[in-house]
Amino acid sequence: MRSGWTMAGNWRERARTLKDEGWWLVSYCGLDALGLRGGSRFEAVAQFRHATEGHRCIHVVAEGDPPTIPSIAAIWPTANWMEREAYDMFGIVFEGHPALTRILMPDDWEGWPLRKDYGVGKVTVEFVPQPFLQIDAPGQASETDGAGREVDRLGQSGAPERHWGTAPGAADTAHEGSK
Amino acid sequence: MTSAQAIDKLERDGHGAYVESYDPDAQRMTLNMGPVHPATHGVLRLLLELDGETVMKCEPIIGYLHTGMEKECEDQNWRQAVTIVTRMDYLAQFSNELVYSRAVDRLLDIDVPPRGRYIRVLMSELNRLSSHLVWYGTQGLDMGAMSALFYGFREREVIQDFNEMVTGLRMNNGYIIPGGVWEDLPDGWEPAVESILALMSRRIEEYEELLTFNPVFLERTRGVGVISKEVALALGASGPIARASGIDLDLRRDAPYEVYDKLTFDVPTLTEGDVYARYQVRMIEMRESLKILRQVVDGMPGGDYKNMDPKLTPPPRSELNRSMEAVIHHFKLMTQGYTVPEGEVYEAVESPRGELGCYTVSSGGTAPHRVHVRDPSFANLQLLPPAAIGGLVADLIAVIASLDPIMGGVDR
Repeated sequence: MRSGWTMAGNWRERARTLKDEGWWLVSYCGLDALGLRGGSRFEAVAQFRHATEGHRCIHVVAEGDPPTIPSIAAIWPTANWMEREAYDMFGIVFEGHPALTRILMPDDWEGWPLRKDYGVGKVTVEFVPQPFLQIDAPGQASETDGAGREVDRLGQSGAPERHWGTAPGAADTAHEGSK
Repeated sequence: MTSAQAIDKLERDGHGAYVESYDPDAQRMTLNMGPVHPATHGVLRLLLELDGETVMKCEPIIGYLHTGMEKECEDQNWRQAVTIVTRMDYLAQFSNELVYSRAVDRLLDIDVPPRGRYIRVLMSELNRLSSHLVWYGTQGLDMGAMSALFYGFREREVIQDFNEMVTGLRMNNGYIIPGGVWEDLPDGWEPAVESILALMSRRIEEYEELLTFNPVFLERTRGVGVISKEVALALGASGPIARASGIDLDLRRDAPYEVYDKLTFDVPTLTEGDVYARYQVRMIEMRESLKILRQVVDGMPGGDYKNMDPKLTPPPRSELNRSMEAVIHHFKLMTQGYTVPEGEVYEAVESPRGELGCYTVSSGGTAPHRVHVRDPSFANLQLLPPAAIGGLVADLIAVIASLDPIMGGVDR
């Protein structure tokens, strides 16, 4: 793959030259190079196509904190949503973008989901204790705990026994413990 | 606001709950279309500013189906990530699997046996047919021709049955994998494809009879939602939408992959750029797909269907009883998967909706460092405002259907 690198400062100029040479932008996405190689961390990766010269790829190295890259949405309007996506996922700020807002995540979302230090599964799920779904009439309580309260097999006191039905022929042994 | 006040407000302003605001002086109404609306093809929300029936502003708001699949891919090994990408554009599942697998093939620098390549093309061309059938049905339905929906889905069902016969699943197949395809074609695949080909060439005639010269359909699609060549180029259109606007671009012909360089087919290009042109392009494409399928069936070679490198492909079940090495290889592949050399690659294929690209980065481990899918629906949806503004709300429905966006691919 034909790859090139450019610093954010030179990017707009380079993009204009590419456009004059007849390249058009097909894909533009963010990349977090943490752990991939030394040096810069955030990049935007642009893929170009040409009628005769095929395909090429250019990495744009973001500068500063927050990582910043000049916007090319005025040169290729298709970059508008792609830059919004890279901002949404990596927090890369595209300077001069007409409306840089989150595009896929909710507007009030905190954090940048595709960054490498943003782990999956960090959103806590709240479990509300619910009594077990009662399918049949409540069965006989199976055991008692130390204080004499009835508990079911999972140790939940007060919850009715779960009854999933019994396999044919297993009816005699299924509730052995409760008798 | 109490309910009595709310009723008062409704009676005063004369509009319903979907209206965001109403400016009585300019007679402009801002309202939401979607995210749950039968004509927006999924969970697409449009913020519309209307002057009577005329669309003055149109802002697509996406993200309602975002499930973080690109992040999810980074947690799977290279083989497992196929099952994630196939769920992105769920109507073009084989194209998604193909582009990701091709990217990994190139990173691994491995060859796919000829039979594997032919099977990949066979499945993705059948997939193009079934995807266009869904488009045909929904385009007809949105234009008021409900029978089109039944016809489209009836034939799609035949192709879905073939998918089930080959892969075991109707959708989200996970069949095309790095190195080839997961399983060889089952016995009886050839008569099954032959019957699909015979059936479809007859049925496409019927579809054309139903809509192509239908006066109501012509009235509602000709000259509606015109996208000029300049706008299409600037906004990165690809696929049937670009070809209906006079951009002669098809990756199957311009950057041939798999076995497309050995196949002959035409790329339909029209210049009108309206909904009807997009309709015509897709109808011709379905016939071209049949031509390709004919050649694929005739040219299907024998031999391996996937790369049999033991470091990449688990050994056959029978080997596990005999060879300790086979057991070790099987265990390593199933528990941690194979490693892919460090590098980056961008691969693109022509999906039913346009250029489907996959930018993949490997850090040398057993899981991708980054998988970005350039989905054609995502880029094509940006064409909606220029195509819809200035038209009627009813035309907007026609335009959405003709862009054929799949929100699973847009939001990923």
